[in-house]
Amino acid sequence: MHNDNASAAGPDKSRRAFLILVPLGMLAGVFTSVATAAYRFLKPRISESSNKWIDVAPLADLTGNLPLPKKIVAEQIAGWATSTEEHFVYVLPAKNNQVLSAVCPHEGCEVSWQTDTKLFSCPCHESYFAADGSRISGPARRGLDPLPTRLQDGKLQVQYQAFENNTEQRITRS
Amino acid sequence: MNATETSTAVSEAANPLVDLTVKSPGDRGDLFENGWGAWLQTTGGIVGILLLVQFLTGVLLAFYYVPSVDHAHTTVSFIEKVLPAGSWIRSLHHHVSHWLPVFLFLHIVRLFRRSAYNTATVHWIASVIVLALVMAAAATGYSLPWDARAFFSTRVAEGILSGLPLLGRTARLWALGGNEISTLTLSRFFALHLLVTPFLILIVVAWRFSGLNLSLVAAGPNVNPIATGRVCLQNLSRQLVAGSLVFAVLAIYSMKYPASLGPAVTTMTPDYLPRPGAQFLWLYQSLKYVHGSLGSVVAVVFPGVVVLALTLLPWLNLAALQKFSKQPQRLIGGTILTVCALLIVTMTSVSYLSDRRDPRVRQQLARQAADEEAFRKEPFVPTPLKLDNRNPALATTPASSQGGPPMAYTKFCAMCHGEHGEGARQGALRFPPLLGVSAKPRRTVDDIVGLLNDPKAYGLEPPMRSFATKLTDQEKREIAEWVVTLKK
Repeated sequence: MHNDNASAAGPDKSRRAFLILVPLGMLAGVFTSVATAAYRFLKPRISESSNKWIDVAPLADLTGNLPLPKKIVAEQIAGWATSTEEHFVYVLPAKNNQVLSAVCPHEGCEVSWQTDTKLFSCPCHESYFAADGSRISGPARRGLDPLPTRLQDGKLQVQYQAFENNTEQRITRS
Repeated sequence: MNATETSTAVSEAANPLVDLTVKSPGDRGDLFENGWGAWLQTTGGIVGILLLVQFLTGVLLAFYYVPSVDHAHTTVSFIEKVLPAGSWIRSLHHHVSHWLPVFLFLHIVRLFRRSAYNTATVHWIASVIVLALVMAAAATGYSLPWDARAFFSTRVAEGILSGLPLLGRTARLWALGGNEISTLTLSRFFALHLLVTPFLILIVVAWRFSGLNLSLVAAGPNVNPIATGRVCLQNLSRQLVAGSLVFAVLAIYSMKYPASLGPAVTTMTPDYLPRPGAQFLWLYQSLKYVHGSLGSVVAVVFPGVVVLALTLLPWLNLAALQKFSKQPQRLIGGTILTVCALLIVTMTSVSYLSDRRDPRVRQQLARQAADEEAFRKEPFVPTPLKLDNRNPALATTPASSQGGPPMAYTKFCAMCHGEHGEGARQGALRFPPLLGVSAKPRRTVDDIVGLLNDPKAYGLEPPMRSFATKLTDQEKREIAEWVVTLKK
């Protein structure tokens, strides 16, 4: 440091800039590498919707003209844990056993079948749907969502899916 | 040295808090010299950056870790095997925990050389306490992954505490949160590791830096602020560069060498040889030479005395000692630091060497390393979360009503013998199925109850252990009655 004070402002200034820029750059390197790792590490994990077929009911039980409420148990993989979730669906024997998700396409409450009015009604914001699932009134922007089904060994099976809320188009949530 | 610098030095010497700029008599040349020597003074910056890295990586790991015995190992495996950058972050946290005490020790030695205990008391005390806290954080951190190494780390902590004279029992109970190592123990170590020690470290570090800016102002009007500022800037730059370089080396090292993670503790074989983390090897080796209660004293009291004596060093300028030495503080501190350095280096080397020399130990350790490697290569298996019991349609079948296993079986036995007695394979270990076990000799209901109480009497070997105290008699009978119904 002996001749530092002797040096003029010009070279001293650039030396100071260098003195501070290099270490700050290196410190930025430390933060950047940790931050990059942090971003990848914390990035939300989209759980792949399991394409498992879930038993709904034996075909013989699905009779009549009215929607039948059924409970299905779907497996969910969330990070380090698997868990099972139950969902309500309605089977429409009158519509070739189409299966509707009970989740209201408005904000995601669960609709229930009203035997007196012969309508699905959502308890949250009073959307109404006809017995075939089509929208009648209320804030929902589309009808109830059908789920993929198939017949296997005399049983009706379904693949559980969730859809985006509040859209006119039906968009599978991923 | 020109006029400005002289005046700086003089006024700084008057203010002991300006430890960055203090020149105490007798250590001329130790401060702000140019060239390579100056780089030896960057231990503070290195410690700062490493502490920062520990905080950052620790916080990141906490985003996924779950402190309960049934999920801890799964979540750590998830971090290691599934999450992007998870292995690197954990490895960095692990390796920095080994090097942080080393650099802290060097930092303390450097402070000692310039008599900082007198000239920068706050800095001195803070560094000693941070070293103690960093060791405490490491001691609690080793329990968290809940593999065999973690389990023994907890076991040894338990043993050391319980061997303490007078308060051994109390200390053990308080550390474990009960009379056995359980999920409560893990919660405690978790809270100590993630909340208590980092919080205390932050407080001490804040305390160490609190006087700094003020004291620069307080240094007086004689100080040429530009000159002082440049000296500080130069020093700060060097500290940052050194810290960043050490980080870079450890970051690259961590990419190549992941932190160890063995199979879950439930799969541990009886011949497992536990070895502590590198920063505790000296203690581990020392305990081989001291037996019984004395071991606990050595493990707790010795480090305690060292930390206490170094903390109190600023006040140890005792007149009584001045007949031995003109500077009793130098004598005391120098002795302590030398003894510690010698003890740690010797014991750590002896520990490494003795593990190398004994062929049986070497083979077993190699086997364990191979097990860890094999476990690392296995794909990650998610844990099934138990369903909510309030939901009767989906709840697990209650005890014995529909031929399902009793609750106690699911809790204690299913881990190894399978949910329905089908047995299990965990790594190299195979657990026998219980199906058709009643066809074997000495396996009636009464025999099985007896076997649960005393497996050895029935010719069973570890890892099958006694459940005499873990299960009630009612539960043992329920399990036995259910097990005999199992058909092949």
